[in-house]
Amino acid sequence: MSETTAARTHVIGLDPPVPRTHADELATRVFFVSESIEDFALVPSEAGIGAVRVTVRDGADPGDLARKLRYVVANDVLGQRRAEPKVVWRGTASGPPARDVFGDLLRRGAAWEAGEGQIGVGEPVLSLMDRLDARIRSLAVAEFGAVEHRYPTLIPTAAMRRCGYFQSFPQLMMFVSRLHGDVDAYRGFLGEIADGGDPAEALRSRAGGADHCLPPTMCFHTYHRFADAPLPGGALTVTSRGKSFRYEARYRRSLERLWDFTIREVVLLGPRARVLADRRRLMERAWDLMDELGLGGRCEVANDPFFADAGTAERVWSQHLLELKYELRLPLDAERDVAVCSFNFHDRFFGESFGIGAEEGGEEGAVHTSCAGFGLERLAYAFLCRHGAEPSAWPAGVRKAIEW
Amino acid sequence: MNDAERESVREFVSRHVNGRKIGDAEDLFASGYVNSLFAVQLVMWIERTFDMPMEGTDLDFANIRSVEAIGAFVDRKRAALAGGGGWTST
Repeated sequence: MSETTAARTHVIGLDPPVPRTHADELATRVFFVSESIEDFALVPSEAGIGAVRVTVRDGADPGDLARKLRYVVANDVLGQRRAEPKVVWRGTASGPPARDVFGDLLRRGAAWEAGEGQIGVGEPVLSLMDRLDARIRSLAVAEFGAVEHRYPTLIPTAAMRRCGYFQSFPQLMMFVSRLHGDVDAYRGFLGEIADGGDPAEALRSRAGGADHCLPPTMCFHTYHRFADAPLPGGALTVTSRGKSFRYEARYRRSLERLWDFTIREVVLLGPRARVLADRRRLMERAWDLMDELGLGGRCEVANDPFFADAGTAERVWSQHLLELKYELRLPLDAERDVAVCSFNFHDRFFGESFGIGAEEGGEEGAVHTSCAGFGLERLAYAFLCRHGAEPSAWPAGVRKAIEW
Repeated sequence: MNDAERESVREFVSRHVNGRKIGDAEDLFASGYVNSLFAVQLVMWIERTFDMPMEGTDLDFANIRSVEAIGAFVDRKRAALAGGGGWTST
C-alpha cells in the first residue's frame, strides 16, 4: 500500500522521438509500464513524440521510471513498421450521430460501477446484450453449423502457458489466487486481518498455487477442449459465450474497456482454405448484421497489444502485414470508436501448441484455426450510443431486428 | 527484375522452407513451412538486397505473397523511385 498520496509530474524525454504514426502504439502501453503512473500525456516535438509527461505517486523513482518507459519504447514501439490503415468495409448508419450515453445509463440505473473495470448492468442493457448475442449465435449455428459449448469460468494456468499467452500479453493476465491449504496459513491470515491488516498483504506470504487463471477470451477453452487428439471429421466450428477478463489497468473506461466482460466467440478449426474462407464469410455476415442494426462503423486490418517480450515489435507488424487480424469498429461519439469484434487467423499456431491434429488421411499435421470474438458489452454500448438509452425511441426496423 | 535477382529471391525463400521447391506463383505463407515472422525477415531482406525502403502502402501482403509478386513489386518500386511518371507502389 502506498502511504503517500501526493502526485508529481515528470517529463521523460525520448531520443530518438517516436514517430507520430506510432503514437497510438505508445499510448496503449504507457499505463502498463508501471502502476505508479496515474496519468500521462504525449509531448509532441518537431520530429514526432519527443517526451512523455507522467503523473506519478510521490515516491516513484523518476530515473527508474524513465528506464522502464524507454525499454518499452525501444522494444515494442520503435521497431514497428506502420502500414497505411486498410479499411475493408464501411457500414451504413441510421438515426442521429452516435453520442456517448454512459452518463445517461448511470442516471437511469441501467449501469452501475461495481468496481474498477467492472460494470453491473440492468435493463435495457441486459436484454440488449442477450438479443444481440442471440443474433450472432444463431448466425454461427445456422450458417456455419457451429456446435455450442459452455465452459467453466476458470482455465488451467497450464493451458494458458501452452499457447504462449504469457509471452504475448503478460500485462493483461489475471490469475486466481487462494490461501495455501494449511491450517497455519488460514490462522495466520485471519490473525493478520483481525489486527486490521490488508487482506492482499496477508495473502501474499500465504498464497497457494496459481494453477488457474481467468480466461482472457473463450477460444482458449475451445483449444483446450480439443487438445491432444485428431479433430473428428477434420473440421469443426464451435461457439461459446462466457465471462472474459483482462487487466486493462487505467485504460478501463465505461462499458468500452472493462476488466470483466462477456464474449461470444466463434472458433473455426480445419484445413487452411476452409478456415480462411469461413472467416471471410463470417465477417461479411457480421457486416450485414451491423447494417441491419444501422450502427455505421468500419472493419480494418488490426494488431494485438503484444507487450514487452523479445520480438514484440516484429510480431505486431507481421500480424498487420499478413492481415491476420481484422477489427470491426463502431463509433461511440464524434471522436471515439470501439472494436466490438475481431476476426483472427492463427495459421497452425494454436493447432500446434494444443496438439489438435488434422484428421488422418486429410491434411498433414495440426489444424488451422481462426476465431471471431464479439464483446457483448461493447456491442450493446455502441448500439445505445447510436440509438439512445430509451428503447421506445429506437427505430422500428432496428427493434424488429433484435425482436424487441 | 533480372534473372539473377529473381534467382536470389528463390534462394532466400528456399533457405526458409528447408530447401523445399516453391513455385514462383505459389503463396509462400500458405505453404505451412514459414511462420508469420518470416514476413518481417522478407521485407527487411528486400529492402537490403534491392536498396529500397518499404513503407506505407508498400507494406501490403500482396507485394510479398510469392516470388512473382516480389519481382513485380521490386520492378514497380524501382520505376517509382526513378521517377517513372504515374507509377505507384500499390
